[in-house]
Amino acid sequence: MNIPLNIDFQQILLHLFNFSILSFGLYLLLFKPVQSFMEKREHTYLDMHHKAETELKEAEELKAAYEKHLETVEAEVEEYKKKAMEEAEREADELLQSTKQQAAQIIMEAKKAAQKEREKILESAQKEIASMVMDAAEKLLSSSTSEALDRFLYSVKKE
Amino acid sequence: MTKKINKTVIILWICVILVLLAASFFVAPPDRSGESIKEQMRDAVLHDVNKINFLGIKDVNPAFISAVVVTSFLLLAGVCIRLFVIPKFQIIPSKFQLLLEQLVGFFASFAKEKSPHRYRFLSAYIFGAGMYIFFGTLFELFGIQAVTVNGRSIALPAPLADINGAIALGCLSYLIVLFGGFFGNGFKGVGSALKDFTMPLSMSFRLFGALLSGVLVTELLYHYISLSFGLPVVAGVLFTLLHALVQTYVLIMLTATSYGEASHKKERK
Repeated sequence: MNIPLNIDFQQILLHLFNFSILSFGLYLLLFKPVQSFMEKREHTYLDMHHKAETELKEAEELKAAYEKHLETVEAEVEEYKKKAMEEAEREADELLQSTKQQAAQIIMEAKKAAQKEREKILESAQKEIASMVMDAAEKLLSSSTSEALDRFLYSVKKE
Repeated sequence: MTKKINKTVIILWICVILVLLAASFFVAPPDRSGESIKEQMRDAVLHDVNKINFLGIKDVNPAFISAVVVTSFLLLAGVCIRLFVIPKFQIIPSKFQLLLEQLVGFFASFAKEKSPHRYRFLSAYIFGAGMYIFFGTLFELFGIQAVTVNGRSIALPAPLADINGAIALGCLSYLIVLFGGFFGNGFKGVGSALKDFTMPLSMSFRLFGALLSGVLVTELLYHYISLSFGLPVVAGVLFTLLHALVQTYVLIMLTATSYGEASHKKERK
């Protein structure tokens, strides 16, 4: 059968065969790798976008929580301040009290020590005087007459 | 310094043009004892005289050899890009990466726009068809020579300037639409696609007619030596580029639109 325009089914099939190889080859070599790269990049950017959105949401929630906390924080600060003042006053009172006690004790101990010292000095003075008197008497006895001794003894007796 | 070099280059370029112009008038006129313009044009349409032996298997139309050359070139380029360019792709693309992404992105988004419910296979198909039509049409610009079985030397035409190539692509596009209709919509989809039974015919002959007109104009221009100087730059190169783009767009648009219509699930009223 003579088909017009030189149409040849065998050559049509050859063209189809050729085109199938080309389109499949181009799909595997170019279209698929380039498209998968583009999709991968798109996913990367989408992931980054989602991550940024999540982080932004978290930050906003945190901000809201802080703002809420900030509203109550002044009252808390006042309370803490009051507590601290009370604590400080109490500690100061305690310190003053203990200092007073210590001072009283120190004074008392000082008085006791002074008393002891006085007694000690008096005792030593008496001993010294007695010794001096004895020395003097010995000297007088050895050098003076009996009259003088009598006078002296008389004076001592008077004292 | 640069201006001086530019001037020298321009002067040299003008001299070359003048020499070529003068030479075109002095060379011997073309051999009219061979094919007449009528025979050449008839052969450009029918491809029934100048056949080329394909690997010693069969005498085929020159357009099939062109198709094989274009396919080999595109696959070779694809392999090179796959091996040396794609592994070096970066998040912020370079110029060539951007070109590839734009190309793939254009076909993918075109398919998605025309057939939003079923587009993955369609995008791959129109990518292949688009590349084949575009580069196949540009192929005729190179004027690669081949020897026919009659011992004549001819310039290889665009693959789709042969009616068999155009019918193959037109019918395959229609088959793709039919299968799209079947997979998307069952036998109803096939029925709706079958209603457009003139589509393969119109697709095939539109492609063939558009490509053939380019071939005929080019044949005409190059047949007369006085017309083959200067004019082919506009009539040949620019028109070829233009109709390569237009034919690519027309075929992928028709295929994608019909595919979208056939595979779209119709809701029951």
